[in-house]
Amino acid sequence: MKKLLLLTILLQGFLFASLRVDTTYSTMGLITQKIGGDLVNVTVLGSSKYDPHFIVPKPSLIAKLRRADLLIMNGGGLELGWLPPLLRAANNAKIQNGAKGLLDMSHYISMIDVPSSVSRAFGDVHAQGNPHFSTDPNQVLVMAEAIKKKLIQLDPENEKIYQENFNVFQKKWQRYLQNFDTKMQMCQGKKVVQYHELYNYFLKRYDIQSIGNIEPLPGISPSSKHTLALIMSMRQNHVKTILQDVYHEQKTAAFIASKTGAKVQIIPHDIRAVKGSDTLENFYNIIGKRICN
Amino acid sequence: MQKKLLLSLFAFTSLLADSEVEMLKQQLLQQQKITQKLLTRIEALEVKQKKVVHTVQQQAAIKNVNTSASFSQNAYLPDMAFILNMSALDRNVKNSNYTTYDIPGFINNIGATGELPFNKNDGFNFNYAEVALRSTVDPYFDAFAIFHLSPAAFAIEEAFVKTRAIPYGIQIKVGTFKSDFGRINSKHQHVWQFDTQPIIYKSLFGPDGISDAGIQAQWVAPTDTYIMAGVEAFAGTNSRSFGADTQNRHLYVGYLKSSVDIRDDLSVLGGVSIAHGDNYDNNVTNPTNIYGLDLTLRNQLGSYSSLVWQSEFLQRDKKLSTRTDKQSGLYSELIYQYNNNWYAGVRYDTILKNDTDLSAYSGVDTSNLDRYTAKIDYHPFPMSRLRLQYSYDRTKVIEGERKDINEISLSLNIAAGAHGAHNY
Ligand SMILES: [Zn+2]
Repeated sequence: MKKLLLLTILLQGFLFASLRVDTTYSTMGLITQKIGGDLVNVTVLGSSKYDPHFIVPKPSLIAKLRRADLLIMNGGGLELGWLPPLLRAANNAKIQNGAKGLLDMSHYISMIDVPSSVSRAFGDVHAQGNPHFSTDPNQVLVMAEAIKKKLIQLDPENEKIYQENFNVFQKKWQRYLQNFDTKMQMCQGKKVVQYHELYNYFLKRYDIQSIGNIEPLPGISPSSKHTLALIMSMRQNHVKTILQDVYHEQKTAAFIASKTGAKVQIIPHDIRAVKGSDTLENFYNIIGKRICN
Repeated sequence: MQKKLLLSLFAFTSLLADSEVEMLKQQLLQQQKITQKLLTRIEALEVKQKKVVHTVQQQAAIKNVNTSASFSQNAYLPDMAFILNMSALDRNVKNSNYTTYDIPGFINNIGATGELPFNKNDGFNFNYAEVALRSTVDPYFDAFAIFHLSPAAFAIEEAFVKTRAIPYGIQIKVGTFKSDFGRINSKHQHVWQFDTQPIIYKSLFGPDGISDAGIQAQWVAPTDTYIMAGVEAFAGTNSRSFGADTQNRHLYVGYLKSSVDIRDDLSVLGGVSIAHGDNYDNNVTNPTNIYGLDLTLRNQLGSYSSLVWQSEFLQRDKKLSTRTDKQSGLYSELIYQYNNNWYAGVRYDTILKNDTDLSAYSGVDTSNLDRYTAKIDYHPFPMSRLRLQYSYDRTKVIEGERKDINEISLSLNIAAGAHGAHNY
């Protein structure tokens, strides 16, 4: 009887063998779920409550990496501050750099803001360009296609299913984007400031101008000198919207708002970062609505 | 031209096609073959020449877009970081006296051990510069090297290769490296939460901890909960606890670590460790066992704010020719990160059990050996750190008398170059 039970458990393991996929952030996790369906078991490593540059490297994440068949990372240096030691400690040959089971999403994106010279004198800059591409709904299909290709490469037997899921998703997303683009048209030429350059892909796409950042240099806390200069420039340019993320302090933004009459908008940087941003559609709708407002 | 030559040769052959000149015919046939060979060679040369001209023209058409040096290998350079550590210090003991301190039962005249402690001098100290290199050698190995340069010495602090492609969650490390015994043994001074080493670590292992040439194997269990087991074998050169005779010394280390998330923002990491080696006393080799227990609780209050409580207990059982010494101690620290720039912390260090020969300290109170430490860190930028630390140290005997030491230090640590990722 016991043996029979064990056998069925084992068989079940074989019959319903699904790919274990870890993604560093939630948006990529959700897209993977769309393309992989029941064939994948998705685990998101970085909570969207926290700064994506500084996910707390909890040992429990090592256990999650240990059994992954595929690790989908954002790349572009976004995980540099937390992922490398976890990956080294996980002892999982399948997902090491250079292995088939590692997908670096930034390799498929046309990166913007690539600095021509890099020095820490300019703060903690992203040397490979702006890695915050997942806040732009126009990058979703690029990501979905890269994920589809990778899943097929790892699990060629189910190619048809992945392709079908992708086709369905693609159609749906193209329709969504058409709708989204028309909605965003009325915001062309709008001017904003942001805390960190999290939304540059989005702003560029929809012709919205970013006048400056609350942080004086990437990764450096606000200084009064820089804040005053930003207020001046916002007044000159009639900027009425401040894009604030969920994980930085909000006092500086509130201060700037009080001096300029601008409105602070909390913009999610990842799925579930703010209430109601639990699906891809809702996530980008909230970004669009709050930037446009 | 060549074809004509061939033709005339043929004609010549046919003219002389006579039984009398069979030999000549043979010779001619041979000549004919040679000529044919020459012909094909000439043709080949002609084709080649055409090709060369063609490529030259094509190259002229390509624009010169890349002027990188042809033999540059910059992309393959190892990740490199360098660290500078210095301090200004005020202590209520003269330097000449401080360098002779005892920790009763553990350290007898620190100066004589040859260990130059960090922040040795009352006044200014340039402690060290460190260069760390990390590179992937090939699909199978990662290589690491950390060079430690102090004003008086150059040392290879760590240099090892680590496997990256062994299945079943196994990883092998070979070289000279810091053991993963306990919680902080493997950590370098510049990432410690306090500038001073916990008393029990300093007492049992010395300033570098267990750091030796050897081999390590670690295994991560394929479970939802983090479980890691490791074994290590070392040359056994740590003389503080082990120091057997140079022929037969050895040191084995084993540990088991596990971690669970109680909530998304509250996690616990615990470990048990053992180090087993030999000591050499009165020309007899006897075993030394050191046991370690560690526990860390981390409560994340935001992206840049957290509360971490970390404690370690270590016990040494050292068998000697006439008796067995049993000694133990612990430290417990609480670190609060307020934001990106500010940290504060307190630590308590104590020796719990000191069951050894203390006859050299007759008339000296050797009980209640402990130390209190508090610190504030300021990070003006992510890569630099200023630390103000105060300690009240009641573990030292200087010139035959128990001496309580008050020490205040301001240290500066700079980490330039490649990012070291953050610690748990
Ligand atoms: Zn960034």
